[in-house]
Amino acid sequence: MKEKIEQRKDISDVVISTRIRFARNLKDYPFPCRMNTEKKCRVAAIVKEAALGGHSAISDRFRYIQMSELTQEEAVSLVERHLVSPEFISDREGRGLLLLDDESVSIMINEEDHIRIQVIKPNMDLDGAYDLADKIDTLFDEQLSFAFNDKLGYLTQCPTNIGTGMRASLMLHLPALKESGAMGKISASLAKLGLVIRGMYGEGTDPKGAVYQLSNQVTLGISEKEAINNLRDIAMQLISQERNTREALSENISVLDIIYRSFGILQYAKLLSNDECMKLLSELRFGIEIGIFDHLDYDTVNHLMIEVQPATLMKNIGKKLSAQERDQIRAEVVRTALMRKQVPASRRLE
Amino acid sequence: MLCQSCEKKQATTHIKTILNGELKEYNLCPECAAKFGYGSFFGNFGFDLDKLFGSFMESFGAGGSSKRCKFCGSSFEDIAKTGKVGCSQCYDEFYEELLPSIQRIHGRTSHTGKLARSAGNEIRIKNEITQCRYELEQAIKTQEFEKAAELRDRIKELEKSMKEEAEKTDGKEG
Repeated sequence: MKEKIEQRKDISDVVISTRIRFARNLKDYPFPCRMNTEKKCRVAAIVKEAALGGHSAISDRFRYIQMSELTQEEAVSLVERHLVSPEFISDREGRGLLLLDDESVSIMINEEDHIRIQVIKPNMDLDGAYDLADKIDTLFDEQLSFAFNDKLGYLTQCPTNIGTGMRASLMLHLPALKESGAMGKISASLAKLGLVIRGMYGEGTDPKGAVYQLSNQVTLGISEKEAINNLRDIAMQLISQERNTREALSENISVLDIIYRSFGILQYAKLLSNDECMKLLSELRFGIEIGIFDHLDYDTVNHLMIEVQPATLMKNIGKKLSAQERDQIRAEVVRTALMRKQVPASRRLE
Repeated sequence: MLCQSCEKKQATTHIKTILNGELKEYNLCPECAAKFGYGSFFGNFGFDLDKLFGSFMESFGAGGSSKRCKFCGSSFEDIAKTGKVGCSQCYDEFYEELLPSIQRIHGRTSHTGKLARSAGNEIRIKNEITQCRYELEQAIKTQEFEKAAELRDRIKELEKSMKEEAEKTDGKEG
């Protein structure tokens, strides 16, 4: 195998995406848990005006979505694409969403806090994501009165977010560490460092397809920059641990067998359930990561992992589908994407 | 509420998940939660918030105090029960009561980092000093001595204006 896995500079084999989230609240309104729908609508209108009104520098690139007007599929698809939290769509009354045209910025109104600014960037780009979130936050700050206290910083509904109100996260693919059963121990030691690791869709969700979210937990008494540097340092350690474990597993014939089988199923299956598909895609990605499928790239797999989610599948097709219809279309979507990237003849018989 | 899986024990873990395009919510007891793979993540304090506030409430004998936030009407018991603070003024009203949990969650009790427009002058200066000190540390680590010297001068300058600011406020109060 070419370059040793652990010596690669590019870390997109482990890091899928970067997310920065700011929690902000308006000083003159109670937090969302203490507001009725009418008040929530008023807050939503104020935030909307601040973003889209005449004084805003960002107005023409954002669109406003009133959450109560979406169909269930459209709402769930927003979660699947990581644009909003699962919590945000559990009760959509009085909630609004500001979405940047390229979907890299989403601003949730009246989730746990009045305003949640979220920036997502592909691969590892903590500084870039932070700068953008910071700029948007400053624009809001110029027009709104934020709840802020000199001692406790930005005030939030849940005391776990006070201070900077910032959560920086990296979405990581950790198949080897998951396989080796090390995740429990790792998550315990991360807690001691003020970090937390959890499933793909955030709090309380299952790590589907070995995709994890690593984020800072402590937000008070540590500046944004420090928190980000801290997260980056720890992520780099985790990345090298994952790579070492991959190196060890990459010679293991039963691991290779699983990877090749998964590739086979993904290419030829006629029905794929979501869970099976995520598991297989994760194994396929693992294969790319250890240098087996050179003709495939991470973007294809990253993209598919979102594309095959049930609500996103239905949204893209434009109609409601039964579970079996979804499984059939999911298999088709995967097959088509993989067919487009043909295996070079020289590698076919490996 | 009883655990939805074993239907025997008290459910303490609330899980939201998206399954086949539908949002589903489950209430599980700790054992069943662990069984379904949610266990390993729950050792972290992020999820122990309810318990944290709960035990904290006991030690204060909640219900005894009838104090309510003048702005939103929350009592400390409301906050302790839900783990949610009612409004920004609750943080002033119940500062003493909240502080131990804040300390336990974050390990620290005073903010550093970005400031809102409404922040006072003193905190602005203090904050910049903290930031410069941090950058100075980094600059020394990476052996950028020119930058380090600049930062050191900036810190001195800031400390001077901090003193002046403090004298101003003292003067006002006196």
